[in-house]
Amino acid sequence: MRRIVIGTEKGAYLLSASGASWTVEGPMFPGWKVTAFGQAPDGRHLAAVGSNWFGVGVHASQDWTNWSQMESAPSWPENQGRKMDQIWAFHTDGDRLWAGVADAGLFTSDDGAMTWNPVEGLNEHRTRADWHPGFGGLCAHRILMSGEQIWVGISAVGVFRSDDAGATWDAKNHGVPPVDAADNAAPPEVGYCVHGLSQDPDHPEKLWRQDHQGVFRTVDAGDHWERIENGLPAGFGFVMWRHPGSGRLLTLPLSSDENRVPVDGMLRAYVSDDEGDTWEIAGRGWPDAPQFTGTLRGAFDGDSDGQFCFGTTGGKLWVTGDGAETWEELQPAFPRIAAVRIIE
Amino acid sequence: MSVTVRLPRVLTQVVGIGPKHDADGHNLGEVLDDLFAREPSLKSHLLDEEGRIRPHILVFVDATRAGIDSPVGPHSEVQVLQAVSGG
Repeated sequence: MRRIVIGTEKGAYLLSASGASWTVEGPMFPGWKVTAFGQAPDGRHLAAVGSNWFGVGVHASQDWTNWSQMESAPSWPENQGRKMDQIWAFHTDGDRLWAGVADAGLFTSDDGAMTWNPVEGLNEHRTRADWHPGFGGLCAHRILMSGEQIWVGISAVGVFRSDDAGATWDAKNHGVPPVDAADNAAPPEVGYCVHGLSQDPDHPEKLWRQDHQGVFRTVDAGDHWERIENGLPAGFGFVMWRHPGSGRLLTLPLSSDENRVPVDGMLRAYVSDDEGDTWEIAGRGWPDAPQFTGTLRGAFDGDSDGQFCFGTTGGKLWVTGDGAETWEELQPAFPRIAAVRIIE
Repeated sequence: MSVTVRLPRVLTQVVGIGPKHDADGHNLGEVLDDLFAREPSLKSHLLDEEGRIRPHILVFVDATRAGIDSPVGPHSEVQVLQAVSGG
């Protein structure tokens, strides 16, 4: 692992390894939240930024260092009563760029992030009136694709799937408890709080889900979900990551909804090598001293070489270069980390 | 009729423009529209989805708090300030 870019509550930082030490450049976008990274179809890097005063913006760069703001960003039309609070995710599919945003919705750009169009089939879904925000807002934070099929994770609404390239969408949450589970009530169509979502690209019908209500998987593209928490200290958390080569799954359990820190402060990633049947602590290098800090859903990344890293709400960065066997906490400390991307 | 528009540094250094701009207009809305014509990315940072000045921004014309319809005189100075908040 040589270079990592992180987005924090106060700007972005670029970390480069030289031997055992790391150098830090930044902050880029000083004073602004940096909430997501992506790649435009032409190869430029993208950063989503946000400000409590000035709204959101999209910036592009060829080198991760010199950035220029795009003229436009996803925006809600007038008179809808919706606020463009944050860009949570980018996804590139051929010449089309997708963005997941809060207030929850999807937007696409076919001109390299110059202009954006709302995905009406999802944004104006017939259940929209029943979409309500969770603690993190009402956000579309994860986009997965395979052919004509698209999955999007929305907090606190649930997983939606389109089988026709985004024209129409259906909620896919059967088997997951809703956020407000009433005894003996029929499961609602929406009201589920998906936190993290990952997929097997060779078998796209297999997905794994870190939800507000626990850890789940599906083997039928989301039609049914089953709970898979054997070996985990808690079901709550935000991260779900699948290594594309080995199929190894990683998550970072947190105590509970009410207590969003590791159980007893024991910060550890957990891995599963059997598609989620069982989980165990990921390797070694974890601190004995309690770490009462969390990890947000966008603050985890991995690459095909077995390198992983995650950032914490306490501003620390953890890295591994050997498939999650040996972990190291980097020394620099940053503001609350919202997004992490391994560059090379 | 040219007025001077001064923008806060936390905005201009990220957008990549200078803090001081000349613009034309008879009221604040016209001045901002003239500014947005040359710096389009500023619009969504200063106005919300309904075209109103964002809630945590104050705009002053010649040291008096102004709204979109406030008149702007020849050689007025428009100052955009963001709320002092956050951790």
